[in-house]
Amino acid sequence: MLRIAIKDLKLFVAEKRSMILTFIVPIPLITLFSLAFGGMGKGSDVRKLPLVVCDEDHSISTKRLLQQLDSLPQLRLFHTSMDTATDLVQKGKEDAALVFHKGFADSLEQGRNLPIELRYDKAKEVQMGMLMAVLSGNLMHLVGTKSLERKAIVRFDKQNPGMDSAMKNGVHQMISSNFGGGTGTGKSESILTPTALSAQAEVSPGLIQAVAGTAVMMLLFSVAGLGASLLQEKEEGTLKKLLFSPLTPGNILFGKMISANIVAMTQLLIMFLFSWLAFGLDIKQNIPGLILMIIATAFACSGFGIMLASFVKTRAQVQGLTTLIVLTMSAIGGSMMPTFIMPTWMQHMAVFSVNYWSIQGFYDIYWRLKPISDPDFLMRVGMLFLIGLVLNTVAVFMFRRNILKIA
Amino acid sequence: MLPSLSTPSEGGYFYTFALQTPPMIKVENLVKKYGETTALDGISFEIKEGEFFGLLGPNGAGKTTTISILSTIVRPDSGTVSIAGFDLQKDPEQCKRNIGVVTQEIALYNKLSAFDNLMFWGGIYDVPKTELKTRISEILSLFGLAERQNDKIESYSGGMKRRINIASAMLHRPKVLFMDEPTVGIDPQSRNLIFEVLEKLHKEGMTIIYTTHYMEEAERFCDRIGIIDKGKIIAGGTLAELKKTGGIKESIAVTFNEMSEEVAKKIGSFLEGEFKFTGNTLHYYSNQIKSDLGKLIVRCNDQGADISNIEIQKVNLETIFLSLTGKQLRD
Repeated sequence: MLRIAIKDLKLFVAEKRSMILTFIVPIPLITLFSLAFGGMGKGSDVRKLPLVVCDEDHSISTKRLLQQLDSLPQLRLFHTSMDTATDLVQKGKEDAALVFHKGFADSLEQGRNLPIELRYDKAKEVQMGMLMAVLSGNLMHLVGTKSLERKAIVRFDKQNPGMDSAMKNGVHQMISSNFGGGTGTGKSESILTPTALSAQAEVSPGLIQAVAGTAVMMLLFSVAGLGASLLQEKEEGTLKKLLFSPLTPGNILFGKMISANIVAMTQLLIMFLFSWLAFGLDIKQNIPGLILMIIATAFACSGFGIMLASFVKTRAQVQGLTTLIVLTMSAIGGSMMPTFIMPTWMQHMAVFSVNYWSIQGFYDIYWRLKPISDPDFLMRVGMLFLIGLVLNTVAVFMFRRNILKIA
Repeated sequence: MLPSLSTPSEGGYFYTFALQTPPMIKVENLVKKYGETTALDGISFEIKEGEFFGLLGPNGAGKTTTISILSTIVRPDSGTVSIAGFDLQKDPEQCKRNIGVVTQEIALYNKLSAFDNLMFWGGIYDVPKTELKTRISEILSLFGLAERQNDKIESYSGGMKRRINIASAMLHRPKVLFMDEPTVGIDPQSRNLIFEVLEKLHKEGMTIIYTTHYMEEAERFCDRIGIIDKGKIIAGGTLAELKKTGGIKESIAVTFNEMSEEVAKKIGSFLEGEFKFTGNTLHYYSNQIKSDLGKLIVRCNDQGADISNIEIQKVNLETIFLSLTGKQLRD
């Protein structure tokens, strides 16, 4: 088994093209994705989404709200008039404009629907997805609670017009306390504190997305190539010759798995070392977590490569299927774009990909700063091992079933 | 004891070579079917230790299936095989440890050097590292490739690759060596080196099973030959025994410039052996071809026949094979 693994590693090293594809090609790709996701550098350099805002209400509520939005690390606000904002969006110079129409403060106070409008360029759906993800959560925290509180009070007053004012005030206080303290934006302010939104890590989530996403995607391509070495052996007659020897089919396949895992782990390690040296991703902060996630990811990915080779008949088929499966899995699993900007059904599909669990695991380490003992992190590691186990088991079964057909 | 001919119930013939010493390989009633096609139809034979056994047959006759079953990578539908005293079904690992297989295709890792290839192929048979290095050194010298041991296989010529391919099957010193057309498409230098090695191995007592399309190789090396066709061994034995079995006589082919039917009949009436005319050629079959040659020429001259060519056709494996199967070996 070890002899097979060592031989495969020697062959891998002797094949310069494989070395370049495995260890060199991913580096410029990681760099490109890092640039694309705004992940270069540390937290202070995080790329912010530009947003044009127009305040037609000019109230204290809108001013306070805009200040709070401006303090978000994900947004960079530009104040302008509604006409200018509309013009900028229509000409494609800006992605979107957030308009606070006149009467915003009154509507908020009276519990009516809020006159907020987001005008956007329909050609920029992807940017809109990201912007909506940032805005919807934060606006809900900032104004949604207050709006609901005021709606509840107004409805209560309408239903109880004859109640004396002392009792009404008591009920109003009870309603307010249920919405977070009864003093307007108190709850919102606590949510908006920088610690809640960005103090998880100094590193940009874009960088983690770029490094983890690209590394896993490239790893899947590499291990598929290693799996194809099994088919190369079949085509060149060496597999048949191996079967003449006392080695069992299981020995041969496990040898292949060992070499695929070693190459996969080395590739991931090099990707993260590069990210550390080039972009300052602090891989030292949780080395045990990184090692565990690298092992789990390598195991799952190599299982994919070996399984593919166990039932596909020719190397040409491997190449075609690899491209199809890896790109699909990378697209739904979050290697190409963050899962949160995908439709809900695709987000649900993501759990079936190696990419998803691995990327989320690396987020746990470098963004959420979870320790190695964290249940969520361990669950993701466990899922990767489970996927790897299933893929490898299927591969062993298929290989043993098909192996005697080669002669 | 000579091979015994027996008649199976379904018709046709197969040979069992009953030997006095315990056989190195014993095959009994081996059957293998691929769907509706019967690749092996109950073949049986024995090969004794140190024997050089040739297995001949046209394409699709069942040679490769036989070798594949004996080398453990194809399971027979029925029948038994023992190699070096081990039952193939019950103890395949021990059988594998006692055999070496030289495949027709060159099965080597092109990106590795000859030395690394041999270290790998010897290593998987658990030959100790130091011992393996010694054997590699010896075998590379034997095959005339010691100086190129560190070059990658991809830089070797076809003949050199074939030599390494053979070497890789011998490092664990198997008791039985299966060789499936090991000299196909190689240069004369490599072929001669391989022949030298084969002779050496044979002298050292290795049991060799050899399939080839080259009759002269079979005639030169094989102690015994089995002829397989349509999944059955239709003849077997030494070359002399096969000549007897086939009932083939040597012949003289005399071609005339002109030949009338009347003259042909007159010449024929004087001859004691069998004869036939095809076109202007007279084919004369006899067991004493040399003494009959002079008489035949005299008779022809007496009849005024104008001879343009005389050819003596000896019995060889090619003619035996043609006689038994009705096919050329390369059909």
